[in-house]
Amino acid sequence: MVSPLYIIAVGLGAAFLLGLLPEKWQRAAYGVTLLALALMGWIAGSWLWAFALQGAAPVEIFTAGTQPPFAINFRVGLAEASLALLMALTGLHAALYMRDTLFKQGRRAMAVLLIFVMATCGVIFTRDLFNLFVFMELVVISTGGLVLLSADRRALGAGLKYLIVSQLVSILMLVGMVFAYHATGTLNIDGMAAAQVDLFKGGALAFFLMLMAVLAELKPFPANGWGLDIYESAHPAFAALFSAATGAATVYAADKLLLIGGAQWLPLASAIGIVTFVVANIFALVQDNDRRLLGYSSIAQVGLILTVIGQRDLLGEQYYFVAGGILLAHAVAKAGLFWLSGLVAARGLGDWAALRGHPVLVFAFVTFIALLVGLPPFPGFYAKWELAHALAANGQLWLLGLILFGALLEAAYLFRWFGYVLKREQPQTGLLLQAIKEDVALSAVVVAWLLAYLWGELSGQGNLLQAIPLLFALLFLPLDWLPAKLKNGLAVAGLVGWFYLHYPSYDALQLIFAAVMLPGGAIILLASFQTQQRRVGFYPAAMLMFAGLAMLIEAKTSFAFFAAWELLTVGSYFLILRGKHSEPHALSYIVFSLGGAFLMLAGFALAAQGVPDFKIAALAQVAEPFAPWVFALLAIGFMTKTAAVGVHIWLPGAHAEAETDVSPLVSGILLKAGLFGLFVLLMTMGKQQLYGVELTHVMLWIGAISALIGNLLAIFQEDAKRLLAYSSIGQMGYALFGLAMMNHLGWLMALMFVINHYIYKSMLFLSVGGVAKRTGTRDMYRMGGLITLMPLSFIATMIGIIAVSGVPPLSGFGGRWIFYNAIMTAEYRLPMVIIFLAGPIAFLYLFRLIHTIFLGQLKDELRTVKEAPFWIVLPQMIFVVALLVFALVPGMALRHVDAYLAPFFGGQSGLDWAGLTITSEFGYWSPVSIMLVIGVIFATLFAWLLFVNRRAQPVKQFNIVFAGERPFRPETTHFAWNFFAPYRKALGFLTQPLVTIFWETLTELLHSAADILRRMYTGNGQTYAIHLLAFVIIVYLLWMGGL
Amino acid sequence: MDWIAMATGFILILMGLYGALTNRNILRIIVSFSVANTGVNLVLVAVGYMRGRTAPILDEAVPMADAVTRIIDPLPQALVLTAIVIGLGVTALMLTYAYKLYEEKGTLDISKCRDLKW
Repeated sequence: MVSPLYIIAVGLGAAFLLGLLPEKWQRAAYGVTLLALALMGWIAGSWLWAFALQGAAPVEIFTAGTQPPFAINFRVGLAEASLALLMALTGLHAALYMRDTLFKQGRRAMAVLLIFVMATCGVIFTRDLFNLFVFMELVVISTGGLVLLSADRRALGAGLKYLIVSQLVSILMLVGMVFAYHATGTLNIDGMAAAQVDLFKGGALAFFLMLMAVLAELKPFPANGWGLDIYESAHPAFAALFSAATGAATVYAADKLLLIGGAQWLPLASAIGIVTFVVANIFALVQDNDRRLLGYSSIAQVGLILTVIGQRDLLGEQYYFVAGGILLAHAVAKAGLFWLSGLVAARGLGDWAALRGHPVLVFAFVTFIALLVGLPPFPGFYAKWELAHALAANGQLWLLGLILFGALLEAAYLFRWFGYVLKREQPQTGLLLQAIKEDVALSAVVVAWLLAYLWGELSGQGNLLQAIPLLFALLFLPLDWLPAKLKNGLAVAGLVGWFYLHYPSYDALQLIFAAVMLPGGAIILLASFQTQQRRVGFYPAAMLMFAGLAMLIEAKTSFAFFAAWELLTVGSYFLILRGKHSEPHALSYIVFSLGGAFLMLAGFALAAQGVPDFKIAALAQVAEPFAPWVFALLAIGFMTKTAAVGVHIWLPGAHAEAETDVSPLVSGILLKAGLFGLFVLLMTMGKQQLYGVELTHVMLWIGAISALIGNLLAIFQEDAKRLLAYSSIGQMGYALFGLAMMNHLGWLMALMFVINHYIYKSMLFLSVGGVAKRTGTRDMYRMGGLITLMPLSFIATMIGIIAVSGVPPLSGFGGRWIFYNAIMTAEYRLPMVIIFLAGPIAFLYLFRLIHTIFLGQLKDELRTVKEAPFWIVLPQMIFVVALLVFALVPGMALRHVDAYLAPFFGGQSGLDWAGLTITSEFGYWSPVSIMLVIGVIFATLFAWLLFVNRRAQPVKQFNIVFAGERPFRPETTHFAWNFFAPYRKALGFLTQPLVTIFWETLTELLHSAADILRRMYTGNGQTYAIHLLAFVIIVYLLWMGGL
Repeated sequence: MDWIAMATGFILILMGLYGALTNRNILRIIVSFSVANTGVNLVLVAVGYMRGRTAPILDEAVPMADAVTRIIDPLPQALVLTAIVIGLGVTALMLTYAYKLYEEKGTLDISKCRDLKW
């Protein structure tokens, strides 16, 4: 194998060779450049292979024929080899990407590029301080040169500011170094570490200066304005290098330098890192220039890595796995995004909508964002998991909280950007496509997925990319060119097949949820046969959600559970985003969901206390003082998914604006994931007290208020789908209430809600969606009199609202019956009163669905409306049958669950399931008799009505006169708009959007703060220099003052 | 002697920094940094100086055998040489930038060079 020293030699030699070539030999020069970079990559790659797979020991390379400290030495191990490979590959890609620019600028520019890559490798390899300084200065000088390759003339100013700052850095570095040398008598990093520089007089100060110099290159807050300017104005290929290569190399230099200082300096690194991470992410919120935004994000990510470096001791063996995962994810994603930015003509975030015409580029964009945010299955996800666990196990809760907060901000602005890509107006000539640039960007996608696989293998948690549901979902990506009907068939077969293969292994609870989610999902997907053409992007998203759901149900460990949770969250986000006007709603959904997910992560991490492979069942053994906190974190996480009041504001928009067949998916099915989580939580952890407050009691209140507020808001909606969406908040409130009662019947009722809500809400969303499709509006007051034109949709709606309202004979009544039994045994009276109040309110809004849409006067423009399409009606009819069956024999499903729940409540069954009658201690419920009685009453009344009206004669629509006036427009005879105006007058104060105002104010505050504070980056190079000096002085006062 | 060199070095560094931070003219800033760099080099040499010893050149005057006790530490001087070379490179690059900026904007006032901000 070739010595790693040749990586340096090849870079340097080729750069000199370029200088010797005649000016005209452009092609030869370019060839030499590519060859040299490829060779450097090959050497690094072969060493990486040797270290990683053949277990080779790290090599020491001595120069000048003597040992350190009398000569410079290099060390190359696994970390160095992988970083060098990263440098060489990003360099090679940059050369390919910048081909035109390099040809224009000639061989000198190519030589500078080679020097840059060589110098970053040198920074990584060297174990000598002064040598480190030399390589860092080489990076600075070559950066100064490469910045000028930009077509943007503003890059000149940016480069100058960088040079000014780097002058300060080199002063700090040299002065620090010479005193450190004076104190220890060596310049060798390991020698200095052994000598423990801190012990010498002035040694700590010397080390401090050196550390500041290296950290300043990492662009810590606030000394980072110069970096941002370079990101914004440089050639995108160089910005990619600057972010990926310089960032990674300097991080590694900081890591080496901290060896000298030892453990007591680590907290400083963490502190600087976390401040930078959070602040840069806050500032990024208000960016509208793409490259500057990426710059802020780069700074934030490097800050995060610095934070991790500071936790080196705490992470132990996991250190390289965590830091490397975040670092590589950052490097690949950032390089990829910068490369993509070179394909987009204009610099506004909205201009990226130009990507939309190219699904492959959109996929690349999504990959990079997921990689950056750390979503499964990418390395950042595993790294985040380990990091959170290590921090929680060692009581670093503040740090964990800040990291998760920063990560949430980052996810927010990245997903907002993704929303722009898919939803903003697509510029006609927004792309500057060039095959080579595209290939370079796409190669990063390949690397991203390879890294995902690699980190999965290394994680010891089970590789997500080997999970069959996820692979099945990903399979739809290459199949996306097929017609939608074919893909839909495959999707339905997949859901049913997976359920068929796995249901024998499920317990009763899993079975209920799995049945609702998988075959239940298949039934809803029948409606998707309606769509024509290819429906690009729908199936990967939908199947990703289903993959998450399938994995959630089977999850045994907290890791599997959390991974599944994130998968289903992301999948459903993509689904929701497909709606025409759903951009802001999808964003609010993903932000709330990821916020909830991060709370869950914190909860699981706190629960595990460092135990690897933490089982879900082990939640039961979590002891004080963690238990109540774990409970609260997990419960809030799950409640964001069920849209409990307070964190519900994402739901109405997300569910209402989604496509016709997506609304039932995200409402009927997705909400159940939250209930499943709550079930698991309550089953394992039971009742918990925090500061003497019974947490389940709090949940009871939240459930009751959700039920009341959700229902109340639903009655004032004009938009039919919004009405249903608010109704879901209310319904989930009921389920939450039932669970929080912590008694057998309460849980049974919650499970009954799982089934019922799935059936009737899916059905109602489909019928309302079908009506909206035909009428072209979702506003109910624009409809009316559709009963004769859309009879099947009417039947479905009718059955649906009977079921929802909980009147006999349908299954909703069963739910109520169990519910009433349950609250007879519960202790809490006041929330019970509230939940009782919520009941009749449900009638009000349900009534509107029938009255306003199907009854009343047919509007002129709707006279030719046809019944909803066959495929949308079909699942509704299946649901009608299912509701009737479930109403007649609820015991079929519930008795098993009842038996399953019994052990949690002292082994006694709450109900007696003999025959077709269900008996509780307060009474009995016989569904069949009820159905018969109601049937007889209905038939009798109907017959009587027919008899009474036998002489009635049909009248035309306007054959009426009001107060001497003959109406001629349907609108004047059908009172439909603002139907409950009187109630609004009386109860309107309860529907004030207080929660929305709260969250909006919070977001607004963050944005305004960012907008004001980012003005500290005045653009003046001297101000930036002062920032750097101020940074050094403040850190000195805070840190050395306290040391 | 050595403390004078050291003090002069630090004074030069501070002067250079002051100049770099207060002058608006880019050329003056570059000159200020050169002053500061000279100060750094002086400090480097001063740190390596040992009282009563001679230059680290091995010839008839200083035989190999008693070199360890008679010459000063050569390393800081080597560092200074390298630092001077690097300083030259950076200064040249900055001057190029200044020239280009003047071509572009017609001014050398750094506060006029604020197209990129926030």
